[in-house]
Amino acid sequence: MYYARCLRFALHMLSDRDDAEEAVQDTFIRVHRALPKYEEREAFEPWLFRILANRCRTAGGRARRHADVVEYGEVPERPADHAEDDAFAWREAIRAALVSLPRDQREAFLMRHVEDLTYEDMSVATGARVSALKMRVKRACDALRALLSEEKHGG
Amino acid sequence: MDEREGALGRAIDALRALPDVRSEATARLLIAVAAERQREREAATGRMRRRSRGPAWIAVASAAAVVLGISQIPAVRAVESSAQIGKTALPAHSVPAVPVSSAADLTNSPRSVQLVLSAPGARTVRVVGDFNGWNDRQSPMVRDDASGLWNVRLMLRPGRHVYAFVVNDTQWVRDPRAAAAPDADFGRPGSVLLVGRP
Repeated sequence: MYYARCLRFALHMLSDRDDAEEAVQDTFIRVHRALPKYEEREAFEPWLFRILANRCRTAGGRARRHADVVEYGEVPERPADHAEDDAFAWREAIRAALVSLPRDQREAFLMRHVEDLTYEDMSVATGARVSALKMRVKRACDALRALLSEEKHGG
Repeated sequence: MDEREGALGRAIDALRALPDVRSEATARLLIAVAAERQREREAATGRMRRRSRGPAWIAVASAAAVVLGISQIPAVRAVESSAQIGKTALPAHSVPAVPVSSAADLTNSPRSVQLVLSAPGARTVRVVGDFNGWNDRQSPMVRDDASGLWNVRLMLRPGRHVYAFVVNDTQWVRDPRAAAAPDADFGRPGSVLLVGRP
């Protein structure tokens, strides 16, 4: 289902569920409006993610009201009650590492390794060249690997 | 180096988990899409451009009655109160302001519309509608402690709007005195508000 995928991407980009849901809703409305202009020979996913990434950039440019909370799958709703939980600490480490990346690196990393877009599709979605996207992904992976290898969790 | 190995690989696995989808979020989305479709239909048929000079104020007043959520609304008096644009307070135990606009304003510009709901036991009430993208954070209502009425003033363009109240952040409530929006078929209640043009 595209909604869940879009929400996953938006959550990782925005670190706030309300903002992410709003971005996804805006995306679907814009997709609906733009469908008459959509050409079937154009791949749908990069087209969808182009709109979604734009909405996330717009949302990310606004005030970051809840930058300290993000949800990954089964994250407890009250993480403070599970401060000793290794799984939560691991997710929190991932979140912190992801947030520390420059936005364009985070976006490229998520599109490539979480959403499984090809570099060609990513180029359509972002407007960046393939070579630039590969560099962003590499830098993101290097940074995440360095940050997360310091963690003791997740084994 | 293979990204799927080591700590990075485990992080990618965690990031790939699909999040839970909140039913209220998908309901908002479906209603928003339905409202978008409705706007398209109206634009296509030219309904938005239809003028009805005489009943214009009646349309506004009817919309007010629809959203006031209280009984025995003196519509005529409400229309007359439209002269007090932007100045109408919400006195305790009285009829609150209704959609108001300037008789001199003959354009398509937004009109001041006050929505009111009687919900004395509520902790929070917000308005969601096509006019705010069904964003439940954009239009919080203010409670009048004496009367238990919640109200908010919005600037809405003339035309048909679909809206609902969100009580205590979770409960979607259709206005009990408003016409039900056909969009309600999507799992959440909705009401119709008509803002007329003079």
